[in-house]
Amino acid sequence: ICTFLQAVSHVLIFVFCFVFSAEVAHQFQYAVRVIGSNYAPTIERDEFLVSEKIKKERGIFLMLFSCLQGVLKHRWSVLYLLLSLSEDPRKPSSRVGNYGALFAQALPRDAHSTPFYCTRPQSLALSYGERSTGLSASVGTSGISSLGVYTLNGPTPTPQPLLPAAGGGQPLGSRLAWTLPVSSSPSSAMVPPAARPPLGPPVPAARVVRPRRDGDPAGEVNEAALVRDILYVFQGIDGKFIKMSAQDNCYKIDSKVVLCKSLRDTSSRLAELGWLHNKVRKYTDARSLDRAFGLVGQSFCASLHQELKEYYRLLSVLHSQLQVEDDQGVTVCTESSLTLRRLLVWMYDPKVRLKTLAALVDFCQGRKGGELASAVHAYGKTGDPQMRALVQHILSLVSHPILNFLYRWIYDGELEDTYHEFFVASDPNVKTDRLWHDKYSLRKSMIPSFITMDQARKVLLIGKSINFLHQVCHDRTPPGKITAASKSADTPKDAAELLSDLEGAFQEKIDAAYFDTSKYLLDVLNRNYLLLEHLQAMRRYLLLGQGDFIRHLMDLLKPELARPATTLYQHNLTGILETAVRATNAQYDNAEILKRLDVRLLEVSPGDTGWDVFSLDYHVDGPISTVFTRECMGHYLRVFNFLWRAKRMEYTLTDIWKGQMCNAKLLKTMPELSGVLHQCHILASEMVHFIHQMQYYITFEVLECSWDELWSKVRQAQDLDHIIAAHDVFLDTIISRCLLDNNSRSLLNQLRAIFDQIIEFQSAQDSLYRSALEELSLRLQYEEKRRQREEEGQWGVTAEQEAEEKKRIQEFQETIPKMRSQLRILTHFYQSIVQQFLVLLMTSSDESLRFLSFRLDFNEHYRAREPRLRASIGATRGRRLSNI
Amino acid sequence: MASAANANLNAVRETMDVLLEISRLLNTGLDMESLSICVRLCEQGINPEALSAVIKELRKASESLKVQTQPPLKLISSHCIYM
Repeated sequence: ICTFLQAVSHVLIFVFCFVFSAEVAHQFQYAVRVIGSNYAPTIERDEFLVSEKIKKERGIFLMLFSCLQGVLKHRWSVLYLLLSLSEDPRKPSSRVGNYGALFAQALPRDAHSTPFYCTRPQSLALSYGERSTGLSASVGTSGISSLGVYTLNGPTPTPQPLLPAAGGGQPLGSRLAWTLPVSSSPSSAMVPPAARPPLGPPVPAARVVRPRRDGDPAGEVNEAALVRDILYVFQGIDGKFIKMSAQDNCYKIDSKVVLCKSLRDTSSRLAELGWLHNKVRKYTDARSLDRAFGLVGQSFCASLHQELKEYYRLLSVLHSQLQVEDDQGVTVCTESSLTLRRLLVWMYDPKVRLKTLAALVDFCQGRKGGELASAVHAYGKTGDPQMRALVQHILSLVSHPILNFLYRWIYDGELEDTYHEFFVASDPNVKTDRLWHDKYSLRKSMIPSFITMDQARKVLLIGKSINFLHQVCHDRTPPGKITAASKSADTPKDAAELLSDLEGAFQEKIDAAYFDTSKYLLDVLNRNYLLLEHLQAMRRYLLLGQGDFIRHLMDLLKPELARPATTLYQHNLTGILETAVRATNAQYDNAEILKRLDVRLLEVSPGDTGWDVFSLDYHVDGPISTVFTRECMGHYLRVFNFLWRAKRMEYTLTDIWKGQMCNAKLLKTMPELSGVLHQCHILASEMVHFIHQMQYYITFEVLECSWDELWSKVRQAQDLDHIIAAHDVFLDTIISRCLLDNNSRSLLNQLRAIFDQIIEFQSAQDSLYRSALEELSLRLQYEEKRRQREEEGQWGVTAEQEAEEKKRIQEFQETIPKMRSQLRILTHFYQSIVQQFLVLLMTSSDESLRFLSFRLDFNEHYRAREPRLRASIGATRGRRLSNI
Repeated sequence: MASAANANLNAVRETMDVLLEISRLLNTGLDMESLSICVRLCEQGINPEALSAVIKELRKASESLKVQTQPPLKLISSHCIYM
């Protein structure tokens, strides 16, 4: 078999070499010799090892290896062959003149070069003792790769088996060695495998052998030792020479150590990194124990951890680099060793990053939630692009939980915020009826600075609307129907995208959600709960908008209300109300509205008539009570009271006028009354004018204008808050213009006084008419009797009758001056009150009231009487605020 | 019979492809022909260490010959004598 094989191989090798020229024969012989000399390979026929070796070189091998079927008989030998032929890409192409130098070339270890190559990080050796044992251990772990290194160098030195026994290797090595024509460094093959196996190809004598030890402590510390120390300091561990000094809060080099100045300075500069690292580490460690830190804080710590991990990776690379140099025992070449200067340069970028992180940590001490996000965001406003990128990254991680909260709140109305980090706060004590106003509020401190106040308010409103719909309106449509929920921030990457486009995409999202939700809410309110209808109903009934109904009601109620208040019964009045409703246009109103209309009797004080205690009422419940709150209803009732009284005055004066018109003709026959009557008429018309103007003012200037504003605002309203605000403004305007607020109390009192006067006048006039009419009727009777008697043929009147009659007329006429003086007093009193009223009006701050004073005094009738009114408008404008 | 032979042929071809891929990954510099020769040599039982040494030697020699202004030489195998 041997010869057969040899024959075959001869032929094949010849095939290999046949294109060569004459020198080929020499090679051929050599080749045959080599091949012939060893067919018992030294290393174990272990496919696994070989494949492991190859795997170390290239990762995809495993896939391919599994594809190899059992076609090859000597699979491992093929693989071994391929492995040995494989070239290290970083191996410098060696153009060798002679063969021997081939094996003398030093090859850098493939796995460990400067940190800028991607390296395989090794485990951190954290103490000296560990490091020395780690040395041998590293050989064990990376034994395979080191084997790979050996094979790269060719057959010498022969690859050591994993078991330390190297006996078999020796003879082979020597055998190979003599086949080489020239061997420049036989020592390479002769290096005995000792406790420290040869770690690399032999080194020309010119290289410097780096001492393994750190240098004697008595002498100057050399740079290598410092580098080792610094690498520990980078992680925050005290080194041999550089230790943390607590009182200065920095890393200081032991002053006992002899060190040249430049090295000392460089070490101090590098030690700063250790200090920064400690700071960041302390923060993350402290915070991770804090249970109440919240999601935002935790993500902040997570991002800091990430950064620290990168930092540790860098440190491990540096460590491994150091280890390489240690392992080799010699400096490979001065360009790739680790010096302080090199560290300075390489650690510059990490230092900047750590500085940013430490500054962030300082700034964010004690903050959490949205505040923390604001703090981080504030740090992103810098010109340095790297720092900005770093802070943006952290910000995206930190704001991710906040955005999650936000999206859940906007799209589902749910708030799960155990650590109070979100800027929407919910008060759990508030019941459903106050849900809209009180339950949800903004936590201003937690609003991140990249979310504007407007956006925050909109966000609050959206969630509030959803909750309102669910709880108060009992509307269970899923929020997905209300607004198309766009993809929420599921990953921090989404958050980062969103943050980069805050004005655009984020605002759009919020706006879209806002519009949709509010529109839906308003739709529900208007459709299901008839909000706008109720608003109009308030106007019609409580604000006396429905004229015919009010008039009819008053007609029906007049006899009732003239009675003392204690005799009134609610059900009677309600019955009258119903009658009024049925008889007028109010019957065509929505039943929903009519059933809420009711009579309310106010509290009775002694001496009240029905007029003082009567009031209409309108019941509200459910969602509309959010708009018509209890305070609003109170306001409405006050305004109703005022308007009702004014209406009553109008009514009274109408009666007076009616009476006057009717009786004027009748009483024409009594010329002595004409003076009195004339006075009455004058006074009555004054009053009529006054009340007329007041009514005009109230109805048109106050009610109608404010109502118009309210209605247009409500129609245009985009959300419920707008409606509530507009409604409140409406009520406030009405109340202040109707003299019902605190500022106009004096005016109101005057007005009340005027009203009282009118009523008094009415009673006075009534009594006057009564007596006059009585007198008239008596006279008529007398005349009638006389005529009758004349017809009967008697004397018309007897002398006594005539005397009686005359006496009676005399008496009557004596009462006239009394009446006249009474009337005069009344007139006087009335006019003085009106004048005071006018003065107050002129000096009021409200412009429409001032104009009212013009209208009331259009012909300056009062002005002539009242010197204070003679002051011109210009003067009063200056003295507007000071009450005369 | 033919199918079995075909299957065998396919397997062989597949294996060669895989080996070519591996050798390409390992950057051995072997082309298909040389690789097939090497595989056949190994299958015959030759010591792979020695063979790889020889190949490297030959390569270096060819390089040096190239340096001595020789036209570039390629390893071609025109015919293989196989048992």
